Amino acid sequence: MFILKRIGVIGLWLLLIFTTAVVTAAFKQRFEDGPNRVFSGGPLISGELYLGAEPDWQFVNDISTIELQLLSPAQSRRIWVASVDGKMYVWSGYMNSFVGQLWKSWPGQAERDGRVVVRIDGTRYERRLVRIKTGAVLDELMAVVSEKYPSRSSGAAVESGDVWVFEVAPRVTANTANTAVGVES
Amino acid sequence: MNNVFVRIGLVVIATALSVWIVPGIDDAVESVFQIIVLVAST
Repeated sequence: MFILKRIGVIGLWLLLIFTTAVVTAAFKQRFEDGPNRVFSGGPLISGELYLGAEPDWQFVNDISTIELQLLSPAQSRRIWVASVDGKMYVWSGYMNSFVGQLWKSWPGQAERDGRVVVRIDGTRYERRLVRIKTGAVLDELMAVVSEKYPSRSSGAAVESGDVWVFEVAPRVTANTANTAVGVES
Repeated sequence: MNNVFVRIGLVVIATALSVWIVPGIDDAVESVFQIIVLVAST
């Protein structure tokens, strides 16, 4: 009995240490230039800012993740990405689940203010997230996603709201109020 | 009882400072956290 109690006490101490370490590491990452693997990071500072014509984003299908930063709040995260017909898409699953609503705040924030900076292979692109709720592209996109990642979804899941899909669109063509945001150097 | 709270405070401060100051610890902690999340989600 004494041994069990002792083990329990040691377990609680270890849990306290680990929890403190995780919270500290996550908080520390907020002050870094970009995210790490899991923890969100601060604004994307380094890297050349792309100023040219809209690229053909097909190449992101060969990249496992990109770094994506919202302008409001100015936090960045590492995220899966896929391309269909030369356009780039990001998404968030489990949006109808309790855990998803608790864990995933960026899709709601992006819907309120879609201005983002994405960093791919060290190059930064100023873009805007535009939510896609319906359309034939969704099934095609989810097929690409299923092929690229260990994830199974469908256009119906997007239409039901369980998966939120965003096109990473040029800022100047997005149908929102702040379309005149210029490219900064 | 007060002694316990003091101990808890000291452990929390020591852990937080270690993670913040010593290079690499934050990355290692994130790795372990990532593994736990992966295991929990499968």
